[in-house]
Amino acid sequence: MAENILLIENNKEHATALQFYLERSGIVVSIGTTTEEMVSKIATKEFEILLVNPFINGSSVCPIVKELKLANPLVQVIIFCFKQHLNQAMDEIGTYAIHFLEIPINSKALDLAITRARKYIANARRIAVYSGRLADLEHDRTLYHQLFNEVPCYISIQNQDMRLIGGNSLFQKDFGNEIGEYCYQIYKHRTSPCPTCPVIKTFADGKSHSTEEVVTSLSGQQYHVLTQTAPIFNDDGDITQVMEIATDITQIRQLQGHLSSLGLMLGSMSHGVKGMLTALDGGIYQMASGLEKNDPERIKKAFDIIKQMADRIKKMVLEILYYAKSRELQYKTVDVVNLVRTVITTVANLARKNHVTIETDIPEYLGEMDIDANWLQAALVNLSENAVEACIYDKDKNKKYRVEFRLWEDDDNRVCISIKDNGMGMDQDTYERMFTLFFTSKGSQGTGLGLFIANHVIKQHGGYIKVKSSLGEGTYFEITIPRKKPEESIAPFGKLIEKESTY
Amino acid sequence: MKKILIVDDDPNIRDYLVALLEDNGYDTCTASNVKDGLKIVKEYKPDLITLDLEMPGEWGPRFYRQLSQDNELKNTPVIVISGLSGKDYAISKAVATLTKPFDKDELLSIIKENTL
Repeated sequence: MAENILLIENNKEHATALQFYLERSGIVVSIGTTTEEMVSKIATKEFEILLVNPFINGSSVCPIVKELKLANPLVQVIIFCFKQHLNQAMDEIGTYAIHFLEIPINSKALDLAITRARKYIANARRIAVYSGRLADLEHDRTLYHQLFNEVPCYISIQNQDMRLIGGNSLFQKDFGNEIGEYCYQIYKHRTSPCPTCPVIKTFADGKSHSTEEVVTSLSGQQYHVLTQTAPIFNDDGDITQVMEIATDITQIRQLQGHLSSLGLMLGSMSHGVKGMLTALDGGIYQMASGLEKNDPERIKKAFDIIKQMADRIKKMVLEILYYAKSRELQYKTVDVVNLVRTVITTVANLARKNHVTIETDIPEYLGEMDIDANWLQAALVNLSENAVEACIYDKDKNKKYRVEFRLWEDDDNRVCISIKDNGMGMDQDTYERMFTLFFTSKGSQGTGLGLFIANHVIKQHGGYIKVKSSLGEGTYFEITIPRKKPEESIAPFGKLIEKESTY
Repeated sequence: MKKILIVDDDPNIRDYLVALLEDNGYDTCTASNVKDGLKIVKEYKPDLITLDLEMPGEWGPRFYRQLSQDNELKNTPVIVISGLSGKDYAISKAVATLTKPFDKDELLSIIKENTL
């Protein structure tokens, strides 16, 4: 490769002779004969080697040379001067130059100096490349470290003894920086390795394995995680460590739990639904034949069946919809007494038809409250219907059945509603499981959703239900609800599902 | 007049079947569970029985087993009318198995065929 040489020499003949000599070797030479020319040619930077006589017209250009060398260390400097100036040149330029030549210049010495300069340049270039790579490497190292730390999974490294020898930031945050502890102890609070440990398998066969686990963090929070492992080899190809990556799939599992319980519900309800649809068909048939025969009694009976079935199907569908869609409450200010009176009116018909007396102890006015009227009303209707039905289904024919509603305000300004019936009451099993999802004591007539949802709606309003019941004597429900929206509302479903379903 | 025994625990469905069958010229009798059904079937000697499978207490298949052990009654045709799935296997000798909600014309034609 042809180098460009900048030649600085105030003796023009000498400069031309040198140029002529160098150009024979294919080197491009540019000449400067004054300090000004030197400065302007340096500014072009179109050279790699500076061949300079530092004493131009008696003044020294050594400071310019030094400055150039500092600004552009790749440029190699070769000094030539008369013997009497050599010492001064060496003193002033020192190591900034790679060679000092004496005028008259020995051509071999010049060739050597240039060869040396080329080598220096080549080396310097290589070093520049290497240090560039080193910087990249350092940058990559930091990047990978950062990636390792910031991956939104728990990453831990275990050795053959199942001891933790490293973990990423998320792991350390949730499980602590417990280097040296056993992984099963930190992840699962166990005293021995887990029965289906994927890490042990990976140590054995060098392949990636995965399992699903429930792990418990420092704060006691449980996570469903999908665990995957990968072997880490040393230079000899032996597995010395295994990396374990655990991805939090708690939300997916919760959703799955919700969906599977929804499926379970639909399955368990299908028999009831089919019965209702058949009875609805029956009502329609009797209505049609009643109309045909002009039989008012039959029409009336058919209409009652259709209405009853339509109500039941409506109720069931609404319950399914409530459960299927986790919803936030829509708060609205309502009149307390109006709300309770509406609830009572809704069940009055059912009670009257079945000879159940309704008694009320309700004040004229009890102020207002902020609630989701649709759902709270539905919850109260559900509880009220249960009370009436507890009377209907009771087999004791000597009882005079009644349901009593009471409404008052407690010392904390909360609204209290009690519903008391003297129906069949609950046995211990029913009492314990009444708020459980899909538990029903009504066979194919019930979905097992009514009380579950009623209880949930009341809890969402920041309220609670108290129940007393005695088999054969009746049941007492007392509902307490604050007048204002609770500051910390419970999640529409999520958390609750976690408790109710097993997977 | 052909006699049909209806065994189903749901009163609304019993009412429906009674109205449907009587309107079509059959005499009917009903039972709401297996125990009553077995008692009534002996006295009433129906020409055909409609049977629900899932009822409180004893289930429909038990009714059928008891029926088929009685020489006098074992040839009585039985139509299963049930909301259960997998119903086809529950009583293999039933003359027909209908799923709730059933098609009333289909039921009537099956009854007609089996009470000739």
